[in-house]
Amino acid sequence: MSGASLQPDSAKQAASLGFKLTLPAQLLVLFIAVFPTLMQIYISLTDWSPLSGANWWMAYGFWNNFANYFDLLQDGRFWGALRRTGLVMLVCVPAEFLLGLALATLFVDEFRGKKIFYSILLMPMMVVPAVAGYMFYMLFQSTGPINHILSTLTGSTVSIAWLSDTTYAMIAVMIADIWQWTPLMFLILLAGLAGVPEDQIKAATLLGASARQRFITIVIPRMKTIMIIALSIRLIENFKIFDTLYIMTGGGPGTATETISVYFYKVTTQDLIWGYVAALALFILVVLSVVAVYAMKRLALAIEVAA
Amino acid sequence: MSAIHLRNLVKRFGAFTALKTMDLDIADGEFMAILGPSGCGKSTTMNMIAGLEEPSSGSIHFSDRDMAGVPMGKRNVGFVFQNYAIFTHMTVRQNLAYGPTMQRAQTAEVNKKVAEMADFLQLTELLDRKADKLSVNILQRVAIGRSAILKPAIFLLDEPLSNVDAAFRAVMRTELKQLQRQFKQTMVYVTHDQLEAMTMADRIAVMDHGVLQQVGTPLEVYNNPVNTFVATFIGSPGMNLVKGTPTETKQGLRINLGAIGKSPILPPALASNLKSRNSEVWYGFRPENITVGTKADDLSLPITFTERIGARTIVHLGEGLSMKAVFDNETPVTVGKTLNFTLKPEHVLLFDGTSGVRIGMEAAHG
Repeated sequence: MSGASLQPDSAKQAASLGFKLTLPAQLLVLFIAVFPTLMQIYISLTDWSPLSGANWWMAYGFWNNFANYFDLLQDGRFWGALRRTGLVMLVCVPAEFLLGLALATLFVDEFRGKKIFYSILLMPMMVVPAVAGYMFYMLFQSTGPINHILSTLTGSTVSIAWLSDTTYAMIAVMIADIWQWTPLMFLILLAGLAGVPEDQIKAATLLGASARQRFITIVIPRMKTIMIIALSIRLIENFKIFDTLYIMTGGGPGTATETISVYFYKVTTQDLIWGYVAALALFILVVLSVVAVYAMKRLALAIEVAA
Repeated sequence: MSAIHLRNLVKRFGAFTALKTMDLDIADGEFMAILGPSGCGKSTTMNMIAGLEEPSSGSIHFSDRDMAGVPMGKRNVGFVFQNYAIFTHMTVRQNLAYGPTMQRAQTAEVNKKVAEMADFLQLTELLDRKADKLSVNILQRVAIGRSAILKPAIFLLDEPLSNVDAAFRAVMRTELKQLQRQFKQTMVYVTHDQLEAMTMADRIAVMDHGVLQQVGTPLEVYNNPVNTFVATFIGSPGMNLVKGTPTETKQGLRINLGAIGKSPILPPALASNLKSRNSEVWYGFRPENITVGTKADDLSLPITFTERIGARTIVHLGEGLSMKAVFDNETPVTVGKTLNFTLKPEHVLLFDGTSGVRIGMEAAHG
């Protein structure tokens, strides 16, 4: 025998070897994806809670025949949280996109101090969200710097109770999110802009296109794919908005800034009705998956059209 | 239509001077090729004509109009990029219509122009095809059509054939020349390929290291190169140059060609041009002007290598001399044998040994 050979002798052996080699990965997938999902489906069909005294696998003793799912359809707080999450997404993601695109457009050209500004611009993204949350919590105090700046600017005393007013709290939370995630948009869109062929821009210019016309006819079509990717990433991430928001308002005042994640967190840690939480999470998972698959299809189509 | 006048044109990129100084007049309707190796400043010159780059100093006039500060979109210049810069996310029709549409022409008028241009360039069948799925020859016609539809006064082409394979290049050379005749525009054509420059251009501007070396018709630059650079750059293969020292003898002025080991007599016309009889000179002659000789007085060199290139044979002469001769395939050549050869007096050119300037043409250079 000349050393250990990985060359299989037959197709059967090859299949067997393949199975053995991928077994660890398969077990991992089973453990982190399949098992928790099955567990979640199981628990979502019961009234089980960690306080009920039984281990989770004994949850069949609390079987409640889809009652959790009927409950969630009538759960006003759940639908309210979903609506607020949608509102946050609808405001923050476009704002981040437009700001990011504007900044990226500025950064395509060379200017003095570009590297420094670039680093500064990316910093919010690197701040731990919880820290950002605390930062904005401080900034938005009624005696805090933001009111102070507004007072100076307007020349009259401004004392908005940012975090305890239902509308202003939402605005404050959105500002924090836009502050933190515009850099990501900027970064992705800058990469996209850099990928627009320079000679096509030059050709368009020589053909008499104005900057605006060039942007509409050349830059946007060329960047469509990357724009969709950037928007998808931020929409998915924004749906899960939690850390910053929770530290700033805790979902309050009342439920004024309670998003899906915050609601789930509260139901899980305060109400401890885990069977219901499992049902909620599963519902969201299914709905989101359907939306994501549709979005992916559109994305693939857009790429095909662009290519 | 418009002539182009470049005066004392200089372009610096930081510490690097891409174009040292350039004076060039391109006549109205002329096909001017700017020829030179990469990095010689030819593309920089063209970019400045187009307005893609601002000159560091000097001026550009289109006929009487000073182009300083005129943005590229307003210069009425058509530009065909090396890779054509076709808008691949559009159809051929959209590409052709781009210029007029951007300049807010009426839709009916745009359609009419596109139809005419498509008909002229034989693109009608392809109008609704996506531009990314087209072959290079069609892309090139789209690129030309897209610029030509605006009826530019000046057409600039930046190495448009460098991406094309050799066989197709020959076809495109003819096609481009015909197009130019039909459009009758002033055309500036940048290339590093002397064959393209020789076959298409009315005049050639040869450049090297940011300096214009010579301007002339293809035959002028071939027959009367002003310096050793032009002599070796034009021609395929380029001119043979051998270092030699003049020596006065009873028969007349001889040039002692150290490397060849012979001292041929200099033709009287050349001898009279040679003012300084002590300094070294370059003794130049074209490979295709060498004829096989037999006399004892002939030049002789060993044959080191032969290249069969089809109709003709390139013979490499002497070890490390990079001298070449071009013969027809019937001339007997054997590697290792010594070749005796002669030159007609009118085929010998002399260049200054240090500056490389053609002796007898010093005044013309510069």
